[in-house]
Amino acid sequence: MLIYNYLLSGWRNINHNKLFSSINILGLAIGLAAVTLITLFVRSELSYDTFWKNADTLHRSHIVFKIPGRDPFKAVSAPGPLIHALKKDYPQVTQASRVANISPAIMVGAETFIQQVSLVDKDFLTMFDLTSLSGDLTNALNDPHSLILTKELAVKYFGQEDPIGKTLSLDYDYFKRDYKITAVIENSVSNTQLPIKALALIDENDWTDRTSLFAQWFSVNAQLYFQTKNPSDLDHINATFDDFSNRNFPKLPIGGADAKASDFIELSAMNIKDLHLHAVGSGEMTERGNATRVFIFSAIAVLILIIAIINFMNLSTARASQRAKEVSLRKVMGASRSNLIFQFLGESVLVTFIALAISIGLVELALPFYNEVLNKELAINYASTDMLQITGLALIVGILGGLYPAFVLSNFRPATVLKANKSAESSASVKLRAILVVMQFAVSIGLFISTAVVYSQMQYAEKMNPGFNKDNMLLVHRIGLDVVSEKLDMLVKEISKTPQVTAVTWSNETPGNTNENNTMLRLPGMSKDDALLMGQRGVGYDFFATYEIKVLAGRTYQKERNDTPLATAQIREGASRKSSIVINSSAARRLGFNSASDAIGQSIFTSRGNPNENLEAELEVVGVVDDVHFDSLRATIRPEIYNLNATWGQTLSVRFNGNPDTLKTNVEAIWGNAIANIPFRYSFLRQDVADMYKTEQGQAKMFAAFSGLAIFIACLGLYGLANFTATRRTKEIGIRKVMGASVFDIVKLLLWQFSKPVFIANLIAWPIAYWAMSDWLELFVYRIDNSYILLLSAIAGIGALLIAWITVATNSISVAKANPIKALRHE
Amino acid sequence: MLKIQNLSKSYRTENVETTALNNIEIEIKKGEFIAIMGPSGCGKSTLLNTIGMLDSPTSGHYWFNDEDVANYSEAKLANIRKHNIGFIFQSFNLIDELSVRENIELALLYHNIPSAERKERVEKVMQQVGITHRANHMPSQLSGGQQQRVAVARAVVGDQTMILADEPTGNLDTQHGHEVMEMLQELNANGKTIVMVTHSPAHAEFATRTITLLDGQVVEPALKAVS
Ligand SMILES: Nc1ncnc2c1ncn2[C@@H]1O[C@H](COP(=O)(O)OP(=O)(O)OP(=O)(O)O)[C@@H](O)[C@H]1O
Ligand SMILES: [Mg+2]
Repeated sequence: MLIYNYLLSGWRNINHNKLFSSINILGLAIGLAAVTLITLFVRSELSYDTFWKNADTLHRSHIVFKIPGRDPFKAVSAPGPLIHALKKDYPQVTQASRVANISPAIMVGAETFIQQVSLVDKDFLTMFDLTSLSGDLTNALNDPHSLILTKELAVKYFGQEDPIGKTLSLDYDYFKRDYKITAVIENSVSNTQLPIKALALIDENDWTDRTSLFAQWFSVNAQLYFQTKNPSDLDHINATFDDFSNRNFPKLPIGGADAKASDFIELSAMNIKDLHLHAVGSGEMTERGNATRVFIFSAIAVLILIIAIINFMNLSTARASQRAKEVSLRKVMGASRSNLIFQFLGESVLVTFIALAISIGLVELALPFYNEVLNKELAINYASTDMLQITGLALIVGILGGLYPAFVLSNFRPATVLKANKSAESSASVKLRAILVVMQFAVSIGLFISTAVVYSQMQYAEKMNPGFNKDNMLLVHRIGLDVVSEKLDMLVKEISKTPQVTAVTWSNETPGNTNENNTMLRLPGMSKDDALLMGQRGVGYDFFATYEIKVLAGRTYQKERNDTPLATAQIREGASRKSSIVINSSAARRLGFNSASDAIGQSIFTSRGNPNENLEAELEVVGVVDDVHFDSLRATIRPEIYNLNATWGQTLSVRFNGNPDTLKTNVEAIWGNAIANIPFRYSFLRQDVADMYKTEQGQAKMFAAFSGLAIFIACLGLYGLANFTATRRTKEIGIRKVMGASVFDIVKLLLWQFSKPVFIANLIAWPIAYWAMSDWLELFVYRIDNSYILLLSAIAGIGALLIAWITVATNSISVAKANPIKALRHE
Repeated sequence: MLKIQNLSKSYRTENVETTALNNIEIEIKKGEFIAIMGPSGCGKSTLLNTIGMLDSPTSGHYWFNDEDVANYSEAKLANIRKHNIGFIFQSFNLIDELSVRENIELALLYHNIPSAERKERVEKVMQQVGITHRANHMPSQLSGGQQQRVAVARAVVGDQTMILADEPTGNLDTQHGHEVMEMLQELNANGKTIVMVTHSPAHAEFATRTITLLDGQVVEPALKAVS
């Protein structure tokens, strides 16, 4: 029954001190909710690809091309022939499979779907334990006419019918093939870097026209997974990869005769469980996570928890003095110290559980928004151990938060407390509280600065002039397909006629939608061994005008001039004619020209065809354009040349004015009339560019939200504490007023008392925030200046001071104004 | 020194109106030592607080040094108060977080007195009341008698001409109570006007005059003699 008595007294105590209790419970509830949300996120991030039966022995190979004169090119895909060399050279490698995602058109009745299909090698099915819903997986990919579908696709194409044995016709644009469905597998889970929709076998003979996919050493278009006998074999392979490269890669076109492959190429492999958070490079099938982000959010969770616990401790110990009488009386009545500790711990656990119930409600409310920002499907699984973990967390918080107050409270000596006019609180507990308040403020200020820096950098990226006009541009994708290419001329003409349209062009790449494509360039005097590797992009006529890219010298491509380059086949046959080239200003500099205009009229040679063919084309620089940011601000601008694609491209860019929706509808109608079977796919350039920063933006939002919560919880605590202080000092304030202090004197006194911890907190928070955020900014080649951090720190400091002042002022003015005899009457 | 005429004070709490002081007429001359007596709840503290300008009367006049302060604003009253009146309370009302020295200095803190002079004056009064050896102690480390001596020192350190004491011996034993009374008598001898509320007839004997209150009214000395 003692427990009942404790619960009752605990409940009454909660009820009695409504302000304290609500602050305590609300602060804790928000804290627990935030921690739960972050934990869900972190847990999901850590769970990627851990579920495969062979996870410990499954690895993926990555590659870095170290290109002189620019950022290394990093890819998580691998050269096509690597798989054969790997199996041949390493007995440890038992199985291996490439995974190439291709998007063929699938005709089902009158409808055409563009569907991602993963082309894999035969080992794939024995490496990865897929779950078959129907059909026998062991024989499902025995020939290049077999197709495995996920349940999702099976339902999409065949409805309720049994798809096994049925036929689907896939058009790869290079060739068409009829596939027989051999198995249906479970839909891919969300926590994998290998999301599968449909599986078919790679037959290298199908792709002889497109050797870059599976046959070239210097193209990386497919990922390569392999399995080793033992997990530790990975270390051996990584340690010997340089020799392996030197044995297997063909002679590189750069670096001269003595150059080794390992001078320019760095192979590595990573276990499948580490891919989501630790892989680096382009070519991922689905968005990766980020280990730093997981760390930061875990740290924020811990900070929020600390702030919540500090609040809890502060408010409880603060109130301890008010409860000193109760404690002393209980002691006089025979309660032992452990009785009391138990009672107070019980009370804090009770408070924590109330907070827990509220926090679960908060989490459920927040999850839809949270998932949207993070693009995830997180949920509390009530049937699993989730609840147990959350309850455990709450218990820990309750006990941690209650422990110190329990000891302080139970330690009161009745004689001291019951004797009138003695302060019940030890100076140690007052000091501890001061330290905790400083910590809370330091954390809040630090979080605010960091959030502000992240936000400012995002704004900077958004506002920065990328060198082209990203507004009012509609992009029409997939114009590279043969059926569209044939009608490109007509499409461009028709779209240009639309009144809203001011310019139309086409290109292989658009900002935010780029590939790594390089070529060797040399000046006439240079030996081939000294040739420079530079980026190249294919653009149509009017590209620079349509994108509003500044021309620094010379001119851009013109239809009336003979700017079309020689085809590689023509060069093979011995044709030699100078063709025009437009380069960017970085390329002009890299080639050694002093100014843009110096480059005009100069000849450069570019390599063509396969590396072993040794073919070159002579180009004459006709124009130098400004450097533009096709890629995110994380990357430096590369030197690059713009080849003219006179008649084809991958994407159509339509510059317009007026209503975007009307334009889209009109262009879609033109597309529908011209191209029957291919669905219209479009995007707006502004969105594509913004998408480059989607991860950062989601991160910034989440960061801001949780920092905001942490600061809010800290403010709640501060409010409670200020209220408490003002109440506790009522008598002192009364005395001071009797001694002649004015209201202003009193408010000043309290303000100063709360300003001190804010000053100290600033001293702690600034250097740490500066260090951390200048480090984070290093990620961006183009970024705000570090002095910004100082400015934001100053704002954070002043903000914190203002918040402290407002909180204290609202609590203390009424006390300061009160008639002192009221304060002195009740003792 | 002060003159009170027709002064009434009533408290309004919700629906109940309590008349704490009813048509009080009092005159106190400079250098007097007044004892206010009467049963609990008769309005003694209210009268003292009104005299001390901690509270304003509901109606009537209050001349302090020939100024009618009855309707002065709080800020104005506070200014007159801090230069003229010192307070001593039954429960000492020292600030727990401040040392003896700091508690006494507090009375000068709001007077625009330079720090050095403050220190000097604090040392002097501490000597007067015999608490110098405890200067750095906290109130909780002192006995009641010692605490009240600190309170007395605090009441006089600002050179106030009048001292108001509300049951200054109420929380003290006979011996300490007697010490405090002797201290007050000495202050009175040095020219301070003292108004003291007390329940002890013995302590009232120290005063030069006794005013008796009953239900918020001054009882005529004649009546007192009869009873
Ligand atoms: N702030 C207040 N609000 C309402 N009523 C009050 C207030 N202060 C005093 N009173 C009432 O006024 C009357 C006089 O109170 P006062 O404190 O002056 O009595 P007292 O003579 O000092 O009594 P004691 O000897 O017990 O100290 C009492 O009836 C009391 O209840
Ligand atoms: Mg009284």
